[in-house]
Amino acid sequence: MSTVDAPLPTADRPMASASGVTHTVPAARGMAIRSLRNIRRLPSAFLPALLMPIVQCIAFSGTFFAITQIPGFPTDRSINWFMPLAVVMGSSFAGIGIGLTTVRDLESGFYDRLRMAPAPRHSLLLGPLLSAWARVLVVVTVVFLVGMLLGARLTSGILGLLPLYVSGLGIAVVSTGWALGLAFRFRDMRAAAIMQLTLFLSLFLTTAQAPLDVMEGWLYHVARLNPLTRVLDLARMGFLGELTWAGTWPGLLALAVLSALAMIWARTGLNRLDH
Amino acid sequence: MSVIAPVVAGTERRQSFVAQTSAMSQRAVLALWRQPAIVVPSLIFPLFFAALGASSFSRAIGLPGFPPVRSFLDFALAGTIVQGILFGSITGATALATDIENGFFDRLMASPTSRTSILLGRLAGGMVYGAFQTVFFVAVLIPFGLTIASGVPGIAVMVLGGVLTALAVGALMSAMAIRTGSSEAVQGSFPLLFIMLFFSSAFFPRETMSGVYARMADLNPVSHLIEGFRDLTIDGFTASAVARTLLISGGLAVLTMAIALRSLRKRVAAR
Repeated sequence: MSTVDAPLPTADRPMASASGVTHTVPAARGMAIRSLRNIRRLPSAFLPALLMPIVQCIAFSGTFFAITQIPGFPTDRSINWFMPLAVVMGSSFAGIGIGLTTVRDLESGFYDRLRMAPAPRHSLLLGPLLSAWARVLVVVTVVFLVGMLLGARLTSGILGLLPLYVSGLGIAVVSTGWALGLAFRFRDMRAAAIMQLTLFLSLFLTTAQAPLDVMEGWLYHVARLNPLTRVLDLARMGFLGELTWAGTWPGLLALAVLSALAMIWARTGLNRLDH
Repeated sequence: MSVIAPVVAGTERRQSFVAQTSAMSQRAVLALWRQPAIVVPSLIFPLFFAALGASSFSRAIGLPGFPPVRSFLDFALAGTIVQGILFGSITGATALATDIENGFFDRLMASPTSRTSILLGRLAGGMVYGAFQTVFFVAVLIPFGLTIASGVPGIAVMVLGGVLTALAVGALMSAMAIRTGSSEAVQGSFPLLFIMLFFSSAFFPRETMSGVYARMADLNPVSHLIEGFRDLTIDGFTASAVARTLLISGGLAVLTMAIALRSLRKRVAAR
């Protein structure tokens, strides 16, 4: 038995009802705990998702240090602009990490055992999602602290952290749903490249590098329509000015719609796997 | 007769070395040609970043410290070429590691083949690809407003610089492939190259950076490598631009080839 599919200790085992069917939340909790244990057992599967945004945070704010001098740029600190981007990117890659773990489980056959378990189908989506959220909390906190060390400052007080965490957790739902849907459909590592590439490109086709007012040409039109631009706006709100409802709701709406679509994508993929 | 024989033997050895290197080179080039899916990302991603930069930072060209350019693409070309070559060179080294993993490398070592030709042959694929990438990036970006102040002679020097850069990076990656014998380890070096690229002047001029980051970019050889290509694009066909492009890439190639050959000798000695 590998370390990956080791059974949970008795205390952590999900509780079964009298009919023998485990309820959604305990089953999801069990899956999430297993996934989190894998971080300790296979740190190489999680560390890139943590290190990548830190490196990105340092590299982008250092390389593009001078862009804040462009007239119309909304901050005079490049780290204030790029740290939230790193958080959103790191959070989305935490979801991708869950997708990669699921592909490994599918290839090893362990996922068939999960599907045969007397647990609701929702738990097979909720469990990975809880695990992704736990990873995101680590990513957002660490990247924020690194950002502060590099000079990032909250412009609207400690409350400005709230939209940063919300956008991190929200984008994790989107990426987890997207990654799981791909994993269920491809059932092998071919899904990995598509997961990473699509999210990477989607996140860069936004205001990732510069605000809309500063852009010119084709990217302006693409970024304006890309809903992830609104998510980035939400993440950056606490670092660029005051918290406002007008600046909040577009991001929340984008996250709600994208999350719903991603989870439907994942659920239909799981159904297809059953058939 | 006794005087001629050693001369003939030496000539035969040279011919044999050339023939072996040529055969290995053909194999490496064909491998790239037959698996376009492996190399396409190293063409697409640099262009994607160039397009992003041109749209995002078009107003940055007026910032203090930015070189005088007509468009951001003029500035971005050098970074695009070196970025493509850095990522493309992983392909050749991964193929070498795969040869080690599947035993083909051992069969080559057991055959009466020159050790250097095994390495050079494998790197030749990357060098041809480096030349192709340089021409490809220039050809694709010219219709979008790229201007090269040094003209056709400058492009020719850039192609040569691209070949030498591919040799330099390919040799370094091959040293890793020979030492580890693992294609996964070679692939795992991708983030390292990414960091080397970002902590350089690939995407923005060093003159606009500040503090520790600027000093790191100053010390990073990738910055100086890129700026040779950039001088040819912006300043024109000057002796210093040509020297910078060829001497830095050539110097790095000599250094990394020495490292790769040393790794190969160690591996042979350990057998």
